[in-house]
Amino acid sequence: MTVRVATDVGGTFTDLVYIDEGNVKAVKSDTTPPNFEQGVVNAAIKADINLSEVDFFAHGSTVVINAITERKGVKTGLITTKGFRDVLEIARGNTPDIFNNTYQKPSPFVERHLRLELEERLDYKGNVVTKIKLANLQKLVDYFKSQQVEAIGVCFLHAYLNPEHEIKAVAELKRLWPEVNVIASHEISSEWREYERTSTTVLSAYVLPPTQQYLDKLKHKLRANGLNNDPFIMQSNGGIATLQSARDNPITLVESGPVGGILGAAAYGEVIGDGNIMALDIGGTTAKCSLIHNGETRITTEYVLEKTAKKAGYPIKTPVIDIVEIGNGGGSIAWIDAANSLHVGPESAGSTPGPVAYGRGGSAPTTTDANLITGRINSENFAGGAIQPDISVVEASFDRLAQQLNVTAMDVAHGVLNIANANMVNALKLISVNRGYDPRDFSLMAFGGGGALHATALAQELNARKVIIPPFAGVFSAWGMLMIDLRRDYIQTHRFSINKQSKAAVINAFEAVISKANMDYKNDGIAENKVKHELYVDARYSGQEHTVKIRLPDTELDDSDFICELSERFHTGHQQEYTFRLNDSAIEVVNIHLVAFGILDKAKLEKLPSSTSTNASMALIGKRLVDFDNNTQRAAAIYDREKLQPGMMFKGPAIIEESTTTTVVLPGNRVEVDDFGGLHIYLRD
Amino acid sequence: MKKQVDIFTIEIIKNALVAIGEEMFLALKRSSKSPIIYESLDYGIGVTDAKGRLISQGNGIPGFIGTLDAGVQNIIAKFDAKNIYPGDVFILNDPYAGGGTHLSDVCMIRPVFFENELVAWTANKAHWTEIGGKDPGSYSADATEIYQEGLQFPGIKVFEKGIANQALLDLIEVNVRLPEMTLGDLQACAASLKVGEQRFLAVMEKYSRDVTLTAIDKLLEHGDLMVLEKFKTLPKGTFEAEDVIDEDGMGNGPFAVKVKVTITDKLFTLDFTGSSAQAPGPINCTMGVLISAAREVFMGIVQPDAPATDGCFRRLEVICPAGTLLTAQRPAPVSSYFEAMVCAADVTRKALADVLPGIVTAGQFGSVCTMNLSGTMPETNEPYLLVEPLVGGWGAAVGKDGESGQFCVGNGETSNIPIEITEARYGVLVEQYAFNNDSAGAGEFRGGNGVVLDYRILSDNADISSFFGRGITAPWGIDEGAAGSCNYVEVFDQQGNAKARFSRASRYPLKKGDLLRLVTGNGGGWGNPSKRSKADVLNDVKNGFISAQDAQAIYNVK
Repeated sequence: MTVRVATDVGGTFTDLVYIDEGNVKAVKSDTTPPNFEQGVVNAAIKADINLSEVDFFAHGSTVVINAITERKGVKTGLITTKGFRDVLEIARGNTPDIFNNTYQKPSPFVERHLRLELEERLDYKGNVVTKIKLANLQKLVDYFKSQQVEAIGVCFLHAYLNPEHEIKAVAELKRLWPEVNVIASHEISSEWREYERTSTTVLSAYVLPPTQQYLDKLKHKLRANGLNNDPFIMQSNGGIATLQSARDNPITLVESGPVGGILGAAAYGEVIGDGNIMALDIGGTTAKCSLIHNGETRITTEYVLEKTAKKAGYPIKTPVIDIVEIGNGGGSIAWIDAANSLHVGPESAGSTPGPVAYGRGGSAPTTTDANLITGRINSENFAGGAIQPDISVVEASFDRLAQQLNVTAMDVAHGVLNIANANMVNALKLISVNRGYDPRDFSLMAFGGGGALHATALAQELNARKVIIPPFAGVFSAWGMLMIDLRRDYIQTHRFSINKQSKAAVINAFEAVISKANMDYKNDGIAENKVKHELYVDARYSGQEHTVKIRLPDTELDDSDFICELSERFHTGHQQEYTFRLNDSAIEVVNIHLVAFGILDKAKLEKLPSSTSTNASMALIGKRLVDFDNNTQRAAAIYDREKLQPGMMFKGPAIIEESTTTTVVLPGNRVEVDDFGGLHIYLRD
Repeated sequence: MKKQVDIFTIEIIKNALVAIGEEMFLALKRSSKSPIIYESLDYGIGVTDAKGRLISQGNGIPGFIGTLDAGVQNIIAKFDAKNIYPGDVFILNDPYAGGGTHLSDVCMIRPVFFENELVAWTANKAHWTEIGGKDPGSYSADATEIYQEGLQFPGIKVFEKGIANQALLDLIEVNVRLPEMTLGDLQACAASLKVGEQRFLAVMEKYSRDVTLTAIDKLLEHGDLMVLEKFKTLPKGTFEAEDVIDEDGMGNGPFAVKVKVTITDKLFTLDFTGSSAQAPGPINCTMGVLISAAREVFMGIVQPDAPATDGCFRRLEVICPAGTLLTAQRPAPVSSYFEAMVCAADVTRKALADVLPGIVTAGQFGSVCTMNLSGTMPETNEPYLLVEPLVGGWGAAVGKDGESGQFCVGNGETSNIPIEITEARYGVLVEQYAFNNDSAGAGEFRGGNGVVLDYRILSDNADISSFFGRGITAPWGIDEGAAGSCNYVEVFDQQGNAKARFSRASRYPLKKGDLLRLVTGNGGGWGNPSKRSKADVLNDVKNGFISAQDAQAIYNVK
């Protein structure tokens, strides 16, 4: 039997989940900056895992995003087409903070004097207009060396159509300066828009050395501790990559952390046969959500780092699972503005000082504090019993706000929960209603420290089908990594119109990327029969700009059926997303998108032993008063999650406690435990 | 229902209402067929209450902040309530009436009914690429009457009870140059109004009519309270400034723009009395636009930390007699209205610069710097029309240099068209898109840099109309900071010989092989250049923003 291990390095804890003989176990260990690999090995030791028996080791880390947000990448140079070195700094020229005449643009990651130009030019069809003057590169290299540049990005106009010049430039750079780190735009993105591609290339170069060093250290540390294979690395697109391919293109790891949980939701959905899920991850500072439809996650290449309502941010055109994130988590602070309106977040008390209840000097009440004084969180077992909160101090913090608003402290606590919930409902609507999906067709799967506290209220508000609290909700990112395959996304701008004769053109357009995918997997040691392809196109009505991603119909269909079906899928998709369809308007393909999975052998998850009856009383550990709605305290049954077994059922009001989270079951809700320990909460009987 | 709606529910409804504008904004962006909408985001969209008071607006352009509510109020005044039905959509672009700017900016308005009662309106205003008139792109550097500038929609129904007015659509189709794009924009704009309607009705269904209406009142009141709070920190008194618009494209000018700003404890009054009479050429704007300009400046200065609603503007008053170039009367041409608008906003900031350091900047390049390039694609002979505003340099402020390569202050989310898209759609090869390497705008904090954008023309029979302001008078410096530089267009033949230089021109002919160079200016500096830190000057030299000679001559740094 195989032993599979996944590790997820977070800010505070390194989570490790493993499957041995189909049984899942998890441990948490401290994260150990700056030598994160040590924490990974510590977790393995804590779990008593013999790495030499591990067949599969997956790893998610925040090394890339940390290097960018902490500005700890290397000094980077950029080479552009002659005349265009300033594209990076001009950016798109927009001012998101529209009324602010002292707005500051995001400053570029490469200063102007380190942005050098090379004579070369392609036209918009990819034809060579000016041959590349490789002889001029020596001078550029000399300057970069004099400035202690450590990594170089290369981005030429129209390289998305024809990478020939970039390939030549990279080869020549490596010849002239073998030690330098170089990456060119076509290695990362084959979509048009030069600013976005340049930004992506620059950030890729910027994080190249630190990421490679980290991955190498991780590999050696794990090997030294007995691991016989290289670890696989979690990517932002919802798949894992071999260590080598992550090394070559590290920007693909940028959202490696958050996507793990979303994938976990998709994977758990697959295990229990539920393909329509709104995945919700509530942490300390933010809530993140993403929609899974028919088992598929949504991918976007419109990811922009550090973008806010007031800042333009930095575009990164690497495939990332489409996640909506808002500044509402357990640590979000409640505050009152000058006109006496109550707000929750986006400022967070973080882990230091943390919520008032932590007793570490925090004086501003947070969402967690509101959950505590309304009785949802057990004050006797707060933070896993590590902290004994002083309830009177927490109440006093709400009282300060209550006096300003002329209401009671409990009113404010409920107000905080209701406002936080409304903010999260808005985020969930962004991924569902606003994209034409009806929440009634979806289950809300909640995880992270705070997900289970809020999920039932949110699902009720949205009319979701039910709530699912999966097992291992506290280490769900790592759990998700155990369940997935290798994944590569090939997105290529390729414009052509759809007409009755287009089937061959559509299929042919994929030929090159399919063989590239097979070749890439061959290099990973994955046989061709283990490679699974999904073919998508990004299409639009002729003349429009923004596209709808649609999956190609069965390629075995005859020409006219194929095109009919393709057109219908497009019209339907367009109507779903944008509320209208134009049946007579021509359809144009802009990008082709191949998703290639490298299928890995995975042991099936074993079902847990079922309970002999539906009665859950053996898991009942007490009762306490919980304030579910203002002024209506109810006696709620308290259950121990560890003791709940498949097949058990009970009704709300109830609270289910486990070491990493608390599940709130509202009056009128009904809970069922599934075969793998997941809780299914039906909102109405 | 509890005895009284609790204050937190009101908060939640307020947030939900404010979110509607943003949702509508994204819906229109994604479904439009015009690059000026989907790339330049040259539109605003939102919701008003039944009386036309602004509840929520998603903005690409701050300058549209006074136009949606005015457009709705215009329709309310014009139509008897009994003639307004569910499913109606009104269309409006009359610049002299509420809601109009220039003819290219088309306002579409839809009533929202809840249980047969008109409870709200959704509206948008977007720049349509083509609306007819004598010049491609529907704005002219040399129009003398509005009748030359395109189709006028005086607030009429384009849909009634959900049914399109086919006669009107047919009329539009034959009167514009790119009917597919224009009618596509019409569809996209109409569809985006439905998104707002659905969201608004969902709020009302959930919380009831009465509670929602209460929340709307509270939302507007909140805006006013937040503004009043900020009034405490504003300087009180009367502040004046004057500036010029150099030319009107017809050889006339300069034109004066004057303002007297009076700030009291509770009122912010802008009086533009004394500004020049309306110009013969199309640089005029109308009263509604002037109010929008005032709102934009007001929001930037007051910074109420509240979403822009009708409530935010209760303390703002705008005065200007009719018939000036800021309050033009029919049939004055207005297609370049943004020049007067930007100038009115800038001159207001200029009046306040000394008393609001760090909040207001020195002069910016100060023009939308837009141009229309039309011609035919070299291979297919299909006509193309490139309508594009340009980025330039912003003014410096206390504590910060001006931004470089940014759209004009007041252009909001307008974004440039990627070169790779420009070349695929239009018959040009872009040879350069770079900062202008001009040392103008020196100061302790220096003005931001403008850009140089070079187009090689790939086919004969192309022409350009340019609408660059500040071709003669550079943007001002403050507190001994130097003035910035001017905006202009240059044309060279294939051999590199200069053929022409101008800031405003109409249909200047271009041949295959010509090089069209568009240059935008730097913003003004703030503070004496000798106070600039040596390290900053050396860094500017290293990065090529200041030449070594200028470092010595202007900044005294070797």
